[in-house]
Amino acid sequence: MSDEILIKEVIAGNNAAFKTLMERYQLLVFRTVMGFVHLKEDAEDITQEVFIRVYQSLHTFQGESEFSTWIYRITVNMSLNFLRSNRKKRLLQSLEALFILRSEEKTPLEELESTERDRRIRKAIDSLPEKQRMAFILSRYEELSQKKIATIMNRSEGAVEQLLQRAKENLQKKLRSAVGK
Amino acid sequence: MQIEHLIDELIRREKETEPNPFLATRVMAQIEGAKKMRSRAPFWQSLTLAVSIAAVAFLGIAIGNSYVEHDAAEVALNINDRQIENLGFYTLGDDKQEQ
Repeated sequence: MSDEILIKEVIAGNNAAFKTLMERYQLLVFRTVMGFVHLKEDAEDITQEVFIRVYQSLHTFQGESEFSTWIYRITVNMSLNFLRSNRKKRLLQSLEALFILRSEEKTPLEELESTERDRRIRKAIDSLPEKQRMAFILSRYEELSQKKIATIMNRSEGAVEQLLQRAKENLQKKLRSAVGK
Repeated sequence: MQIEHLIDELIRREKETEPNPFLATRVMAQIEGAKKMRSRAPFWQSLTLAVSIAAVAFLGIAIGNSYVEHDAAEVALNINDRQIENLGFYTLGDDKQEQ
């Protein structure tokens, strides 16, 4: 069943149709959110909020863009809002992660080094300017084309290409001293 | 090159993270719950509001009716302090002891 039919069904009051719609898009939303927050629990909470928002505002969806584009926009906005309002909490969580994450294949020292490296990469991604981060996450986590990213971000393809290039350069700059030895 | 590889590796691991399989069920439960609350709230809200207004009106009428105007003139009390505080009461014991 196509998205359009499912949307019509949901608006008519068929909740089972919404469940189908959600199952179709939940991985897409979850993965995108993971790119922004990096923590499974937070990503699940935001995914849940995204779908509740989608349900509440489904009647406003005009069908002018693809449904996936619309859902990506909601996801990105809600992820950024979450990050803006949870800065302190996230700092504590990232420090906690240093002590919690363990794997049996590595020695404690190797484990600590790799956890620290991951933390620095995440921090570098998180410190990118908002537009660069959006473009980077949609490109790398969702493997979307520049054209699709441009539609989601309401920008030209050239602008997205530039954002991605700058994001790449910024990451290289930020991480060269930290991990690229 | 190594940095690129490390970033790719981190992204690959994060992408492999699976959401809770009951996430859709959780969302549906929340939507259903909110729907029920919304359909129930207006009935109770309007009923409570109507009952409150009726109670306030009834209370106002009842208080108004319970008021009785007193026409009788106030009686001024003129008490002789000397009679109230009769020193004989205080000296009575002493008299008995003397006897």
